[in-house]
Amino acid sequence: MIEVQKVSKVFDRYEALQEAQMTIQKGSIYGLIGSNGAGKTTLIKLVAGIYQPDLGRVTIDGHDNFENTKLKQRMFYIPDHPYFLTHYTTKQMAQFYRSIYPNWSQDRYETLVTSFKVNVKKKIHTFSKGWQRQIAFILALATRPEILILDEPLDGLDAVVRKKVKNLLIQDVAEREMTILISSHNLRELEDICDHIGIIHQGKILIEKELDELKSDIHKVQVAYKGEVPEHVIRKLSVLHTEKRGSVFLCIVKGKEEEISELILNTNPVIFDLLPLTLEEIFIYEMGDNGYAIENIMVE
Amino acid sequence: MFELDTRSRKPIYEQLVEKLKELIMNEVLKPDEQLPSVRMLAQQLTINPNTIQKAYRELENQGFIYSQKGKGSFVNPSEESKDSEKISAVKGELDRLILEALYLGITVEELIQLVKDKDASKRGGAKGD
Repeated sequence: MIEVQKVSKVFDRYEALQEAQMTIQKGSIYGLIGSNGAGKTTLIKLVAGIYQPDLGRVTIDGHDNFENTKLKQRMFYIPDHPYFLTHYTTKQMAQFYRSIYPNWSQDRYETLVTSFKVNVKKKIHTFSKGWQRQIAFILALATRPEILILDEPLDGLDAVVRKKVKNLLIQDVAEREMTILISSHNLRELEDICDHIGIIHQGKILIEKELDELKSDIHKVQVAYKGEVPEHVIRKLSVLHTEKRGSVFLCIVKGKEEEISELILNTNPVIFDLLPLTLEEIFIYEMGDNGYAIENIMVE
Repeated sequence: MFELDTRSRKPIYEQLVEKLKELIMNEVLKPDEQLPSVRMLAQQLTINPNTIQKAYRELENQGFIYSQKGKGSFVNPSEESKDSEKISAVKGELDRLILEALYLGITVEELIQLVKDKDASKRGGAKGD
């Protein structure tokens, strides 16, 4: 279990994280989403044990993780720009990781390089961005980590490779109970593989929930009336956002599906639809609620 | 075995529960048949194994499947849960249709008469058999 307890981190007076709280259970796939500059990468580097918290603690199975070699042997971190030693080939990188990761599996490594058709004797920096990322995944999975930390991991990979990588990740979660912390801007990408979601904004974790729970707690309601709109009823709901499209009202409402349905159906609407939101919409409306709304900018 | 729509708004967990129920109700999955293991399904569908675990737990709570320690999950042969599920599905459908009928101006009396006629013809048919 990974626990981030009231962690703050300041860079040269800029407060990147303020008392951030996060808990990741073993075997879970945790998706971290946030606005640009929200502190995602800072938080990830804290969990990876690269940064030291200014305040608070980051622990893995109860042990502080900063510069903790024992713990780091059980985890692998792929940053947003994968890092390889200068002028190394894939084969040399593999030898390097084999010497520091006790769980390294040479079989796995060989299966993976064959299946991804990587020329292991070519210097990694001569590969394209997408290939470098695939090589990073191969090396990561060959270390058989208990915790895998991924910053924007699927960026620059084509659809086939993405599917392949996701499938490999899921196998490791199912079979070895590997824990994954993954950050991404591509919310669709997270939607089908994560079970928990954390939303970070201005250095604070706003929401941390099971994805299904998050989705069942917020709805898109489309409603239309013949006559007057019974505003007193609408006001009883916890509405995040309303929009009027012609005579149809569109609201984003928080709460239980049954309760919302019952309340609205009692007002005899002509049209009534209640839809779940996509993760992307949840993100947009939750952020809007926290003063990070979409503004359509007009340019000349 | 089946496909999920990861582009759909519906949570994957809900889709999974519904799909499996459908397969059980239509007896594509036969009573006492073993369900695919969490691992296998996770890999086949490329979805989170924890989500599948959760769906299986929910199906077990609703009485559609039972699990045996170390062996896996199996389809529950009992009819009870399937029937109640079907009944609530039909009721939901009726609800929608009745509302539509009312908006179209069909009167309550007409609807009641329709129901009575159907009931009578069903009884009559049963007698004739």
